[in-house]
Amino acid sequence: MASNMRGLTQFIADIRGARVRELEEKRINKEMANIRKKFKDGNLDGYQKKKYVAKIIFTYILGYKVDVGHMEAVNLISSPKYSEKQILLMHENSDFLRLVVNSIRKDLDGNNEVDNCLALHAIANVGGSEMAEALVEDVHRLLISPTSQSFVKKKAALTLLRLYRKHPDVFPAAEWALRIVSIMDDTDLGVVICVTSLVMALAQDHLAPYAVCYNKAVDRLHRLVIEHEYLATYAYYKVPSPWLQVKLLRLLQYYPPSDDPNIRTVLHEVLQTIMNNSAEPSRNVQHNNAQHAVLFEAIGLAIHLDSSSPLVGTAAILLARFISSKETNVRYLGLDTMAHLAARADSLEPIKKQQNIIILSLRDKDISVRRRALDLLYSMCDVDNSELIVGELLRYLRVADYALREEMVLKIAILTEKYANSYKWYVDTILQLISAAGDHVGDEVWYRVVQIVTNTEDLQEYAAKVVFQHLKAPSTHESLVKVAGYILGEYGHLIANEPGYSPIEQFRVLHGKSQFCVASTRSLLLSTYIKWVNVFPEIKPQLLNIFERYRHVLDSELQQRACEFYALASRPEEDELLQNVCEEMPPFPPRVSALLGRLNQKHGDTGDKRTWVHGGKEANLDREVTKKKTVLVETNGGSAPAASDGGDILGSLAGLDLSGSIQSPTAKAGGGLFTENGAPPVAVGPNVDRWFDKLTWNAEGILYEDVQIQIGVKSRYQGHIGQLAIYLGNKVPSPLTSFTTSLHISDPEALSVTFAKIPPSTIAPRTQTQQLLHVECKKMFTTPPVLSISFLAGSHQTLSIRLPIVITKFFEHVKLGSTDFFERWKLIGGPPREAQLVFPVELTSAGQLDLVKHRQVVGGHRLNILEDIDPNPSNIVAAAVLHTSAEGKVGCLLRLEPNREAKLCRITVRSTSEDVAAEVLKLLQKPLKD
Amino acid sequence: MIHAVLIFNTSGVARLTKFYTPLHQPSQTLIPKIFSLVCSRPATLCNFLDAPELEAFIGPKGEQDERWRVVYRSYATLYFVFVVDGAESELGILDLIQVFVESLDRAFENVCELDLVFQFDEVHHILAEIIQGGLVLETNVEEIDNSGVLQ
Repeated sequence: MASNMRGLTQFIADIRGARVRELEEKRINKEMANIRKKFKDGNLDGYQKKKYVAKIIFTYILGYKVDVGHMEAVNLISSPKYSEKQILLMHENSDFLRLVVNSIRKDLDGNNEVDNCLALHAIANVGGSEMAEALVEDVHRLLISPTSQSFVKKKAALTLLRLYRKHPDVFPAAEWALRIVSIMDDTDLGVVICVTSLVMALAQDHLAPYAVCYNKAVDRLHRLVIEHEYLATYAYYKVPSPWLQVKLLRLLQYYPPSDDPNIRTVLHEVLQTIMNNSAEPSRNVQHNNAQHAVLFEAIGLAIHLDSSSPLVGTAAILLARFISSKETNVRYLGLDTMAHLAARADSLEPIKKQQNIIILSLRDKDISVRRRALDLLYSMCDVDNSELIVGELLRYLRVADYALREEMVLKIAILTEKYANSYKWYVDTILQLISAAGDHVGDEVWYRVVQIVTNTEDLQEYAAKVVFQHLKAPSTHESLVKVAGYILGEYGHLIANEPGYSPIEQFRVLHGKSQFCVASTRSLLLSTYIKWVNVFPEIKPQLLNIFERYRHVLDSELQQRACEFYALASRPEEDELLQNVCEEMPPFPPRVSALLGRLNQKHGDTGDKRTWVHGGKEANLDREVTKKKTVLVETNGGSAPAASDGGDILGSLAGLDLSGSIQSPTAKAGGGLFTENGAPPVAVGPNVDRWFDKLTWNAEGILYEDVQIQIGVKSRYQGHIGQLAIYLGNKVPSPLTSFTTSLHISDPEALSVTFAKIPPSTIAPRTQTQQLLHVECKKMFTTPPVLSISFLAGSHQTLSIRLPIVITKFFEHVKLGSTDFFERWKLIGGPPREAQLVFPVELTSAGQLDLVKHRQVVGGHRLNILEDIDPNPSNIVAAAVLHTSAEGKVGCLLRLEPNREAKLCRITVRSTSEDVAAEVLKLLQKPLKD
Repeated sequence: MIHAVLIFNTSGVARLTKFYTPLHQPSQTLIPKIFSLVCSRPATLCNFLDAPELEAFIGPKGEQDERWRVVYRSYATLYFVFVVDGAESELGILDLIQVFVESLDRAFENVCELDLVFQFDEVHHILAEIIQGGLVLETNVEEIDNSGVLQ
């Protein structure tokens, strides 16, 4: 299509034909003049404008400064023809862009998808803050609108992400969470990839609101990897969309491992399949590539989930094979992933077996591989192998690439300090390090040596000796001279009596080096000398001589020191000033090693974060702790304004497509979502309460119903275990898509409710699906679990309802005779283990007590009605035992005494647990009252 | 995220440059830098390259270990080079280069260097269909091709 711009082709050909740069410039200048003239003349048609702008852009790409045409470009963007608009979008970085915001908005609002796309593209590529604020709502609308085409959605998702990365505050990420996550169920894999990218970025900063995506990601992986449910065109060399798989696996690594056993099994199955798939390498390079890409990410996830699982064992074996592979790419990634394993695993054993291969990799001919090997060695180092690894690193340091050295030095210094078995080894190694790679040793390294030597008394004499030996070498690095200057000055006197270490020898060696040093080192040496004046009176004349000479150097710092020291040293013998000044240094206060500080610098952009850092397990634990802290702060900060600005949120919601939504209470819930324990507010309404109450004493019935959806429940309980079948019926003639269910349990220690399997994401029109829940009562609880449902039916809807799981469901009948009953009744005694209430009751139309209903309610709450205990036939006496898995059994006795004349009823519950008594009372009186 | 997509030939002349992050220094100096990094590596070495040298151009990555990585692949006389950060899977990017090349091949029927020169706009369109704002937009060659036709 663009090929028919003959003028442009000619222009390019001319420029290519130009032999020398001058000719090229001449041609360009001529063209520019021509273009300027044409534009000035006006009345150009669209095609001509496009052509000229294209020429300008080409010139710009060649690297020439272009200052014409911006205005023309802006005109072009409002042109109705696609190709004319398109050409413009390649031209970025211009101040004139703010002029185009309006025309972009017009395009976004338009019905033409192609226009939409281009506008989105422009926003994504340009995305200044003004543009972001002005257009983010429109972009979001395009993303969630059900009428958007797939390719519009894709672009909208990425555009939103782009805006978010540049200006994280530009839209309320937490509020839009459910709506955005729901698009992950889209049938078009292209859309899924893009939305997953978006979710991944948002989830990192808003873990809790986006938690739903965990299930979705697992489900999608299951469908891709195990059920092979994808379009053939998305298979890349027979691997189902490796990009998506990689993204999903990465996304899962941002979340802590799920507690849901069901999800874990599915995930395990997926990872297992991925690993099995790659067991036999194929001959096709591309196929291998794609498979390995997924595999490495899967191993990463496996390590994240549980670094001691058998899955990781398999992974370690695979990795061992990879790092000795012939293919460089595989070696590289093998080492990288193994470093991840080393950073997280409890046991380094499987990796240590490969130690030799890894050390050999340090000598790989590819620097990229060498770097990874270095990282891995750093991560796998511990007390046992530190001497070997550090020794190996030191040896390699001498031949290492220039680019690698500084990092190596830092890492060696850290490892040496962290895993030193003896101080001697530490000092030896560090001094070797300094003499081997002097230029690359940052100041932090030698500061640290001095700190440690000063703080460790046993070490001082040894350090002084070693440093002196090192100093004797014909060429020494300046950092070494500094260390030597400091240590000999402080501790030189400790070794002065040994042969070969006499003061005059120390002085000669040290001073011999000073002429090669810069001023700052020399001034440090001057300080050493003044200390020596104090401890070595025998060499005082030589030292005075030096101060004398330095008094005339040009450097002001040196001169000042020399003058001051000279004055100090020439004071009379009995003066105590010198002694006081040169008192031995006190130990440094313990502080964090500056080295680690340098390695772990903070970063604060919105780019994707890594889920682990190089270094041992503790390094990662530390990191998790700080991360958790920040997350905590964030959630606090996030929820508070959301609660107080309720009005604003509704306002902004009104702008969305929720107007078609039927449940206004739940739409509201979307705004103020996530109260303290993360549970969304429950749907309310007289019917909702009635349905719930009825189900508390019935095993089956309707839980919720509106025009779109009907939810029914069937349940079965045995002891502390129960099963709940939820029937979800779609009442509308179109499918409910992106169907998501999640559970919120206020006290997971007391009650566990889990889905038997991952729920399907679609409910076909006018059909019903069933979902099974496993329930286990561990302790006494009062708050029923909440089931949240969200789905797409035209617009996005969420609904939260309480599940009828109450404490009485875990009652079992118990048979008691009259004497037994009263014995226990008395044994339990009155308050606080008794709960009693008198309340009014309705009589039947015949003016009688509704005894049948009373019996139903009490029986429905699974209490055993005991006959012939109370002489009054209207009274009910019942008993039951509550089964819990953690707290054992709790007995519960009940008396219900209705009075027809007074239209009152007295209920008394006694239980060995006061909580149970109160709760049972509360549950029973409610249906009895109605 | 992908920070830059570059194509240059074996003598270092850029045929396509696309940056998704603002540069600190003009791209004219960056390209020779990357070229010198890439061209010195024989074909048997891996396709990934840590490039701390690039920090001067795109700015340092704050976190430790977070480095610019150059993922490249050479086809005949052309180098396809992606500059990415740690959030991208290296092999995934390698696959993406393959997809990009396959799409170019479909669009131009046996793509050659001259196609990239004379139809630079078209190349940009195809790239725009694959990557948007530094993120993978579409990986299905079929789709990429279609959207080209559609326009």
